[in-house]
Amino acid sequence: MIVFKETCVGCGRCQPYCPAGAIYFEDCRSVVDQDRCYECGTCLRSGVCPVDALREPPNVYEYPRALRKYFSDPTSTHAVTGIQGRGTEESKTNDVTLRIGPGEVGIAIEIGRPTLGMGLRDIQKITRALARNGINDIEPNNPINSMILDPLTGDLKPELLDERVLSAIIEMQVRRERLPEILQTIRQVIPELDSVFTLDVATLLEPGLTIPAGILAAIEDQGFSWRPNAKINMGFGRVSE
Amino acid sequence: MTHSLHREGTIESLDKDYAVFIYPARGYNYKGCAPKVRHLVEIVYQVGPANMIATTLRKNMYSGVRPEEVLASIAEGCRVFTVFNSREKIRELLRAFKEADEGISIVVSGLIDRVRDIAAEVGLDPHTINLSLGIHGGTANLPPADIRQFTTMCGHAMVSPRLVEDVVRKVKRGKIDTWEGSWVLAKPCACGIYNPHRSQELLEGLSPLYTVARW
Repeated sequence: MIVFKETCVGCGRCQPYCPAGAIYFEDCRSVVDQDRCYECGTCLRSGVCPVDALREPPNVYEYPRALRKYFSDPTSTHAVTGIQGRGTEESKTNDVTLRIGPGEVGIAIEIGRPTLGMGLRDIQKITRALARNGINDIEPNNPINSMILDPLTGDLKPELLDERVLSAIIEMQVRRERLPEILQTIRQVIPELDSVFTLDVATLLEPGLTIPAGILAAIEDQGFSWRPNAKINMGFGRVSE
Repeated sequence: MTHSLHREGTIESLDKDYAVFIYPARGYNYKGCAPKVRHLVEIVYQVGPANMIATTLRKNMYSGVRPEEVLASIAEGCRVFTVFNSREKIRELLRAFKEADEGISIVVSGLIDRVRDIAAEVGLDPHTINLSLGIHGGTANLPPADIRQFTTMCGHAMVSPRLVEDVVRKVKRGKIDTWEGSWVLAKPCACGIYNPHRSQELLEGLSPLYTVARW
């Protein structure tokens, strides 16, 4: 995002709307730190600017800057880079797709959330750690795959490394027995990161909304715990095509 | 929407905050799903959501959009994201969804123990769970937990921590009341699951105590 300096009246109303904290005063006008801005468009959509001084910059849809837009603005679609959204439908439609089947777990590393966003160099630390440990299970439809230069090293495309995104999701579905090694790898990379990620584990339920004991044991054994709230597919779906 | 399982707060507060997703699946039950989704949305309106958005309209409940417009907008593949502010409403909703039997995937994001109880009461056998293993990495850089109670209610992190502070500041100074403040906070949420009722309660609890400082 940019602010037209000639138009801006310096009221500062747009500044609190920026999730990245990228808008600040300079010479009594609001300006946008182009490195911090994720191009999420929240300030523009807020409509708070009294003089219409907020504008998308000319390069917002140009690769690689477009990556910011597509990974940070929930109202945008991935038209330029060919990247298809930030993640897949994960467990939401699992009752009809069986994307996560019996004996499997879905693992999602939600990079940059909540709030902080993440530079691509930090994301590369995670993809490299996964590759180093022989974990090459990132889902084919996951947009992160489009950013990876070499799946064997986990290196991302070099032209992307200076970009930042509000969120990206590394998604994997693996056999349940591989959950401990993947959690262990994730745990090892945590101290290297400046930003944050949230971690999800999805599994089929046993009758009566019972979480398989083996899954919970693996989580605890690797030093993680689970929160009291979760996303639960209620099993209403039916295949009709 | 992935992030709804990471909503933060006390158990008491989270018990007033259940997100629900209506989700047709491409290639499985997409074709001909519009009337089914529309019927489910009619049920949502009857139960009384705290917020809602249909992906075909992308306007949350507090944008001035009328229910008729939302229902008319629903087309094939439309997904609906909504949030309810009580356990009782979720029970009523799931009971009505079960009776409607439209065959579209329904996800409830909320307290596991409570959803388990409700599922048993309604006679449902939930299929899949997505557990949150929490936040990791440079967590010292995060805004404080009491601010995150607000910001994590938007699945896409569009509600800025600075906007929460700004609203708290305005409430403390008497410039706006807690409902207006919650409306301001709900507006940037493009996914429609920011719960302004819970937000109002949080503001009422937080504003008298909070000293707004930079984090």
